[in-house]
Amino acid sequence: MSANGTASSIQRSPSSSRARARRKPKKNQIPVGILVLIVIAVIGVLLSLQTNNTFLFWMTGIAFGFILQKARFCFTASMRDPYLTGSTSITRAVLIAFAITTIGFTAIKYGAFRSGLPIPGMGYVAPISLATVIGAFLFGIGMVIAGGCASGTLMRVGEGFWMQLIALSFFVIGSLLGANHFGFWKEFFISKGPRIFLPDVFGWFGAVVVQLLVILFLYIAAVKYERAKTNQ
Amino acid sequence: MNEVVIDCLGEACPVPLVKAQNKLKEMAVGDVLIVQIDHSCAMKNVPEWARKDGHNVEVEEVDDGEWEVIIEKTH
Repeated sequence: MSANGTASSIQRSPSSSRARARRKPKKNQIPVGILVLIVIAVIGVLLSLQTNNTFLFWMTGIAFGFILQKARFCFTASMRDPYLTGSTSITRAVLIAFAITTIGFTAIKYGAFRSGLPIPGMGYVAPISLATVIGAFLFGIGMVIAGGCASGTLMRVGEGFWMQLIALSFFVIGSLLGANHFGFWKEFFISKGPRIFLPDVFGWFGAVVVQLLVILFLYIAAVKYERAKTNQ
Repeated sequence: MNEVVIDCLGEACPVPLVKAQNKLKEMAVGDVLIVQIDHSCAMKNVPEWARKDGHNVEVEEVDDGEWEVIIEKTH
């Protein structure tokens, strides 16, 4: 990710403007970048010859990874930084993403509903119970220790941060174990909870409004929290 | 003026930040803290925190994927 080698354009303190000798000359990464681009394009063409969907998945996956890396969009940091640094900039970015997804997914689901098709993604309307809370808490501890959630860990492995390859390996092992035991948990704990689909409760329009209002409330709370933290 | 270097190479995201915060607390005004990192996320949140806290901050990429965050304690 390092095309520019020099110091960034941030404010300089007089004491640290000394010339620092570079340890070794940096490699030019542009040829490798072009090579990777060609490989991506070739794999994309090969995939599109096979099936329609895999090409779409390939391209969205690459685009998603690129945006994650460039934007430093980190779900872990969004939950952790308010406590650690008082900064809620990533938290607010995640909230904005939630707001956009709310509108986008409602449009997709409502479109299917209007034309009498089965609503896509209804399998993900999962029952909520104490199991959700406990699971979320455990996942939160894990992702802060591992230094990234699923997407962040994958992205950093791609960056060449090998330490997180360990996190990724155990993420895969844990997921396999979880999938293996899922039937048990589902039967005895998860299925006991209520299954709530907001449009059933508030109507389609109401559901969007309610969800956006909740997000707006959280956004305002994040701004207020950051001000309170940094003014100390 | 003192200059302290902390080596956070290989440390994942929140660790360099926590180490930098703790180290800076015990340093005197005018001292310079250099945090060596190779984690791209820490490259963002360490300078962001230090700047919000009002210190002078400079980031230098010393090698491919290896940075030094230079923080001058101002208060």
